[in-house]
Amino acid sequence: MTDDDLRTTLRRADPAASLPPLAPTRVAHLLEQTMATPYADAPAQTATPSRWRRPALLAAATVIALAAAGAGWLTLRPSSGDDPAGTAAPVSAAPSVTRLTGSGIAAKCIAPTAQVLAERADLAFAATVRDVAGDTVTLQVTHVYKGAAIDLIEVPQAPGASEGLMGSGAFEAGKKYLVAASQGSIMTCGYSGEADVEGLSALYDTAF
Amino acid sequence: MDARRERFEAIAPAVIDAVRRYLARRTDPATADDVLSETLLICWRRLDEMPPEHLPWAYGVARNCLANAERGRRRQARLTARIAILDPPPEAVAGPAASDTDLTAVLAAMRPEDAELLRLWAWEDLTPPQIALVLGISANAATIRLHRSKQRLRKLIEAAGHEESTEGSRP
Repeated sequence: MTDDDLRTTLRRADPAASLPPLAPTRVAHLLEQTMATPYADAPAQTATPSRWRRPALLAAATVIALAAAGAGWLTLRPSSGDDPAGTAAPVSAAPSVTRLTGSGIAAKCIAPTAQVLAERADLAFAATVRDVAGDTVTLQVTHVYKGAAIDLIEVPQAPGASEGLMGSGAFEAGKKYLVAASQGSIMTCGYSGEADVEGLSALYDTAF
Repeated sequence: MDARRERFEAIAPAVIDAVRRYLARRTDPATADDVLSETLLICWRRLDEMPPEHLPWAYGVARNCLANAERGRRRQARLTARIAILDPPPEAVAGPAASDTDLTAVLAAMRPEDAELLRLWAWEDLTPPQIALVLGISANAATIRLHRSKQRLRKLIEAAGHEESTEGSRP
């Protein structure tokens, strides 16, 4: 029995062979129903009350390398007085800010390996949290393991986004973190977290 | 926003048709309806993550949603079983497979992983790399496993005397 015969035989038992196509009105209804549901992608510009209605699932995938001039205010704006851990923000001429998104609650975890980290991460760095404003966290990069040299990283502090972050599960001002990202989305599930979590820095050393 | 809607509207009808068939082959109509809506919603929310070859990806989403729905249903079934002792359902007789209906029984008697590979191959018409996408395994693994599943099915069909040549001349 050849592959083709086998396939033909199997197809005769296909229960969906006689399934009539869905009526166009039903298709339209399904589409409308689906698209009426809010989706989240672009990070919230300001902390408005409506952000609480955003679904935790963030559409991940965009790295927005902001023009230094556009984001310069982040570095230059007046210090709120609690400059964490004495990280005197180096007001260099043109700091580059990269924005990452979270992978959201869709992340499923298996044990992290250095190989996966090395293969999947296109950006990996050590950083200290400079400040937390609303649900935007600004990280001051101290060491780049992989990727272009950058100074500042913006990440969301959304509840869904930091799920799976090792350590306390959230970014806290002044603490040091190891963060890996793939296509603009933070890799959670044991690949990013507080720098002193057991095994994490060893994982980074092995991978890069 | 409008560009996003347009993109979704362009992709969705094909996804709806394919996923509907996928679900009709694997579950009851009510569950299929629920899981189809859920799958579409995930496609809508994660539109930016959808690869150009979106059907295998959508099957993968539907597969996860269906697994979730069935976990919930099994929980409910266990509860029902504790409340009422029902008439036992008619036993599936493992007799000789001699018709297409029995081929369904042959598939059901196989290891679920094997049967699913064969379904994805024959019914969804997917290639091993596409099957790999749906199941979240490597293309290599999909090729090897599909090959083995085909061999197992051949053996089962032959053991049951379900030869292609005798198929048409059945009384």
